[in-house]
Amino acid sequence: MAAIRTLALVIRSVDVFETSRVLTLYTRELGKVSALAKGARRLKSPFQSGLDLLSVCDIVLLHKASEALDLLTEAVLAERYEALTHDTAALYGGCYVAELLDALTDRHDPHPRLFDASRVTLRHLGDPVSRPSRILRFELACLRELGLMPALDTCVHCGQPPSPTEGDRVAFGLATGGVLCPGCRPGQPHVATLSGDTLEAIRALASPGDAWKATWGDPETLGPVRSTVGAVISHLIGRRPRLLPFV
Amino acid sequence: MSALPGGPPPSPTASGTVDRLVRALGRLPGIGAKSAERLAHHLLRCPVEEAIELAEAVRAARDQIRHCEVCAHLTESGQARCAICRDPRRDRSVICVVEQSRDLMALENAGSFGGTYHVLLGRLSPLQGVFEDQLNLKSLEERVQGGEVREVILATNPTLEGDATARLVADRLAPLGVAITRLARGLASGGSLEFANKEMLADALQGRQRL
Ligand SMILES: [Zn+2]
Ligand SMILES: [Zn+2]
Repeated sequence: MAAIRTLALVIRSVDVFETSRVLTLYTRELGKVSALAKGARRLKSPFQSGLDLLSVCDIVLLHKASEALDLLTEAVLAERYEALTHDTAALYGGCYVAELLDALTDRHDPHPRLFDASRVTLRHLGDPVSRPSRILRFELACLRELGLMPALDTCVHCGQPPSPTEGDRVAFGLATGGVLCPGCRPGQPHVATLSGDTLEAIRALASPGDAWKATWGDPETLGPVRSTVGAVISHLIGRRPRLLPFV
Repeated sequence: MSALPGGPPPSPTASGTVDRLVRALGRLPGIGAKSAERLAHHLLRCPVEEAIELAEAVRAARDQIRHCEVCAHLTESGQARCAICRDPRRDRSVICVVEQSRDLMALENAGSFGGTYHVLLGRLSPLQGVFEDQLNLKSLEERVQGGEVREVILATNPTLEGDATARLVADRLAPLGVAITRLARGLASGGSLEFANKEMLADALQGRQRL
């Protein structure tokens, strides 16, 4: 039995028994884990105002290989995001972050950069102007970090540049992982046609640096990006995320 | 294997627990013995929080039977209104809004509140699929529109979802011009009202603040 200390974001919380909670945590060092927090619902709980949904806590976990649930022994609140309680749009955005971490990541598969990206995203969801771009940037960070990023520059099948046919429009396989050249397109399922601007916006949102900020408050550019990225994620998890219609 | 008559009672073994689950599932309409076994197997293999969510959903649904026509608190069978709404001594100009009947009962036990209540029958919980339209909000607006109400106290839990729910209720009531207050934050965030002691609840009510 090993005790492990890590930062953790609470992504799911279910009340159990009289006063306890079963938590799904996205941790920085261990990835996703499920843990039992005994007595967490008491107002004077052993966990000191921590363990609320979408808060980041500094925790100590006891991991028993023989049991499905880890046991939480300590939790101290590290960061909570007030904006999520002031504005339902921010709350829905935060819940979408939690839903994606739960649906896309595997248990005990750590990705510290994804953990950090989650915190940065949650911290700024109170700003309605940058919110839609920020959520897209988080989704693309998820895809890249988990090795699921669609190909944007070369055909996902043959590796050739896609050489646009109708103006600057390019075929994009939503289920097959990205751009398709005219030779590889026939017979592919779930193909969308994206404009050069849409591809460029996806590139900017997925890249480090400040280029993505050009998309803030630009619903015309973000609309097709939103539906493309949403469709890619829905194909990956086999259903439409519950919060997707709200972001 | 059943115990022999007169023999010692069977011990609550792991397989006994599984049998109990299979029998319970087998009593559902349209579920035969084979399906019950298959479902039990699934519930034992799926992520533990999914299984617990199902159990909690069943319990929550059963808890929400027979509600007071005014405040949605549980009523005794045959009564359209709960004991609190029927009591002529309660102050109808103050409404305390709670998530569930169990929170109401905790506040009643604290004994320091003489107004009436309104039970939302849940809280904003998007990850569980509970959005604004599933909450018992419309009848609260109607009560406030009735004109008798002077103050609405938001006594949702001090959690992310409870706070977001309080904000939502406040936003919905704002155009009606009623005073809106929130329980004082002596209650640690992340906890549940139903486990607070009398003194904490009395303090939280006493120190409530205008939103
Ligand atoms: Zn190709
Ligand atoms: Zn009533």
